[in-house]
Amino acid sequence: MIRLDSARSVILRLMVLAALVLLPPMAIIFAGALGDFQQGMEPELDRKAATIGRDLAGDIAHAATLGIPLDRLVGMDEFFAPVLESNPELRYLALTNADGRILFVAGVQATVLAPHYETADFEQAGQRKAIIDAYLDIAVPLEVKGERLGHVHVGMDGGYVPARLHEILIDVVTVLAVAMIIALEVLLYVVALNAAGPLKQISRTFEAARRGDFIRIPAPGARDEVGRFIRTANDAVCRVDELYRRLIAYAEEVKSAHFDKGVVERVAAIEDRIRYLFRFSESGSPEVVHHRRALDVRLPLFLFVLSEELSRSFMPLYGGTFSLPGVSPEMVAALPIAVFMAAIALASPFAGTLTERMGSRRVFLLGLMPAVLGYLLTGLAQAEAGLLVGRVATGIGYAIVTMACQSYVSKAAIGEQKAQGLGVYVGAVLTASVCGNAFGGILAEHAGYRAAFFASAVLAVAAGVLAARLVDPAETVKARREAGVGALFRLLRNWRFAVFVVFAAMPAKLALTGVVFFLAPLYLHQLGWEVADIARILLLYAGSVVLLSPAVARLADASGWRAGLVALGGLIGGGGLLLPLLGGGTAPVLLALLCLGVSHGLSASPQLALVSDLCWTEVQEIGRTGVLAQVRLLERVGSIAGPILAALLVPVTGYAGAIAALGAIAMAMAVVFAVAAVAYGTGPTIGSDAEVRP
Amino acid sequence: MIRRLAGLVLLAALTLVPPAAAAEAPKPFRIYMALWRGWEEAAQGFKDYFANQNIPVELIVRNAAQDKSKLPEFVAEVKRLKPDLVFTWGTTVSQEMLGVIGKVDPARHITDIPAVFAIVSQPIEAGLVPSLASSGRNITGATYLASMETQVNLIQSWRRFRHLGMVYNPLEANSLVAIHELEALGRSVGFTLTALPADLADGKPVPASIAAKVAALKAAGVDILYIPPDTFLNVHRDLLTGAALEQRLPSYAAAENPVVTSKAMFGGIYRYYTVGQLTAYKAEQILVHGKAPSAVAIDPPRRLSIIVNMPVVRALEFYPPMKLLGLAEVVDPAGAK
Repeated sequence: MIRLDSARSVILRLMVLAALVLLPPMAIIFAGALGDFQQGMEPELDRKAATIGRDLAGDIAHAATLGIPLDRLVGMDEFFAPVLESNPELRYLALTNADGRILFVAGVQATVLAPHYETADFEQAGQRKAIIDAYLDIAVPLEVKGERLGHVHVGMDGGYVPARLHEILIDVVTVLAVAMIIALEVLLYVVALNAAGPLKQISRTFEAARRGDFIRIPAPGARDEVGRFIRTANDAVCRVDELYRRLIAYAEEVKSAHFDKGVVERVAAIEDRIRYLFRFSESGSPEVVHHRRALDVRLPLFLFVLSEELSRSFMPLYGGTFSLPGVSPEMVAALPIAVFMAAIALASPFAGTLTERMGSRRVFLLGLMPAVLGYLLTGLAQAEAGLLVGRVATGIGYAIVTMACQSYVSKAAIGEQKAQGLGVYVGAVLTASVCGNAFGGILAEHAGYRAAFFASAVLAVAAGVLAARLVDPAETVKARREAGVGALFRLLRNWRFAVFVVFAAMPAKLALTGVVFFLAPLYLHQLGWEVADIARILLLYAGSVVLLSPAVARLADASGWRAGLVALGGLIGGGGLLLPLLGGGTAPVLLALLCLGVSHGLSASPQLALVSDLCWTEVQEIGRTGVLAQVRLLERVGSIAGPILAALLVPVTGYAGAIAALGAIAMAMAVVFAVAAVAYGTGPTIGSDAEVRP
Repeated sequence: MIRRLAGLVLLAALTLVPPAAAAEAPKPFRIYMALWRGWEEAAQGFKDYFANQNIPVELIVRNAAQDKSKLPEFVAEVKRLKPDLVFTWGTTVSQEMLGVIGKVDPARHITDIPAVFAIVSQPIEAGLVPSLASSGRNITGATYLASMETQVNLIQSWRRFRHLGMVYNPLEANSLVAIHELEALGRSVGFTLTALPADLADGKPVPASIAAKVAALKAAGVDILYIPPDTFLNVHRDLLTGAALEQRLPSYAAAENPVVTSKAMFGGIYRYYTVGQLTAYKAEQILVHGKAPSAVAIDPPRRLSIIVNMPVVRALEFYPPMKLLGLAEVVDPAGAK
């Protein structure tokens, strides 16, 4: 998931150390807090039960005062029901007479309670609280004019407090896990930027020097230990450079001034020998190289994607709180997702051009402006229109920022392995998606939807502060012209490519936005899950993608079986989404999400490689990046259609039906693609163009 | 010149500002109250509303003392005094002073001054308004009878019943309307109605026949006796409710008196005081908020008062559900035991 790069050992040790130092005290504090919570909650619940009991006893005493015999009270079920309904921790309510006989009871079978009531002596204050089976029974005396008529019993769920604690425990563990991953990201960033990165540069310099190359030295960077070390090392290289120049100058002097031709020839020979063995900068001193690496952009990118992913699990729920006259509630919930995807699709080409002209750092910062503004608008929105404007702004910002990062990574990664560079990008996006999803759900449940968007804005600003420190890569490679509309049509004339995009790439995105982003949160909410739990359930999808992708990438490379994996992935995903048809409840949804995760995990990496195979000639002309950009653009059609299609289906089919319907579409597409994949022929997969393996 | 102009502007501004908004020296609204039976609960509720809302009013109170001949004098006085609003109490006063639709004569009726009516049981049938949503005229008001559906729901919430009984005065239009409505409701909700008319002698209903009718109802297997708002039954309420108690037949009354001052078991009514307050609220919409009377709908108060006659309940041992008891006003002069 996280490419530790060359600093693996240092960072691993730091991580283990940080975990050892941080986790025990956190665990102790947390355990203490839980204990306090439990101790505080139990008397609080007792008090609440006693209050409820007194209220009920008061009403019953009123009836008794009016001369209604206790055993002939009417409508006690309707009397008890609303109290039980509005207090989830209550399990039953009962009324007993002075002998302890149960007159009325709601919520539990009288036979469970009767043995206890008949023997207990409620006159003793100590006996008014008792544990009966799995219940905690609080007895409130019922008195009229000093006469004890009986008791009102309030029964609480004995497991209520442990259940609540369990919920909190899960939340805290989630937060801890997310915090550790974020800490890992920060450590990775700090170590890479300040230690591992510069040291790698200097070791490269020495490696070059060993081969006689003294042309370049790294920029010393910060004025810390590492910086001083690099300066010292640079000084040594500079000293060699200086000595070389003095030696050459002396040789020149001898060559031009010596009377003995033999000596001049010897010197010239020696000089040639030296020039052959050692290479120095032409400019008169070693060139200082501001070398930047893909890893430098990882933390800003991570934070930015994290900010967007916070709202992933509850966006349709938040959207559903708005309304638009004449539009179905489902469509109102779907539109914010669809317009966000549309904004990304439309802004991406523009963002690409922008990056070419302004450089990654400035574009990153520029893109943050609409993104942050969008978060604030979304969080403050009072009507659907405001929400949509906010999402469009964030979508535009998202397109610009991610494009800036991609460009940074692809440029900085030249010289390194390109695959590693793209790994940094994909790794940051996937890690942020897992963390943001989990953390955002908890945030929304405890602080509200709107607060989560303000947290997004803060995260995005933090990403900006870090990005401001980036230096644009020194090696500005003239990027190949971004492919325009012409390229799009040229690509689509390649029937293999067209079939791939329409029947594999688009359905994948359709299922992603339609089911994971839209239907699953709404359906799970309808099934009674809280937001934080919904977010954790959605992790089934992201988690399986994250875990499967790297292994599948290797498998695809090793076997060359790419179209097959893509087709298999499509079939698994489509089939999985049909599961909710089999029965209601949460389990089929979990399985469907898992299948979709496996599906996308299987097909994501092979998809990229497959594009290169299918469009070998086009790649030569437009460039691999250009072709991939067209794929991204085209598959967004699926992203936009997903929630819209789902919203149209829900009123007709219900949530489960809509998931299955999207599954059926994905399945049908996958079958077509599988057939076509056979028709692709067993011809050689042209060019082992295996640079990118996210 | 300029000063005089400024003065004019100021004067214009002052007249434009609604009186309630003018903070200093608010000019009270002048309201002409035409009453039928003297100062009672509805009039008091009307007056108290303005006091509670801090709306200054000057009330010109006239009592017809159930004498129809006084009403033309009232109309003449209204035309002379030109108050801001007219309040009419009861069907007769409202009909005589405001006129019934199709027979409104600006010379004999009040047309140019907004009016609110109270304690009119059936404004449409009385010819005052064509619909409750809007009078289409310069008047509005509050009704005081609960809809039959509300009443049936209330009785059902005490006990599900399948057979409703009713004794009525065949000469009273209100009762005939009630029978019609109950029969229609019975068909949709699922109960039968047995309505027996009191015997007539010399064109008048005979009080002595009531007890026998109640006994006949009981024999027919009636679950609950419905007592309509009927003047004859109101006068002879002790006969009627006493007979019901004797037959151990629970009774529900659509008016206050049979429950509060006699032996009906329970009733669902709008208190006159509440009706008076609602009428004042409608007056406020017109006077303070500048709404046209035709834009103010005619409706009963929101909250139905449920009155339970506890001694009767105890005698019948027909106890109300806890929920209903929590909402009800209990009449229990002696207390239990």
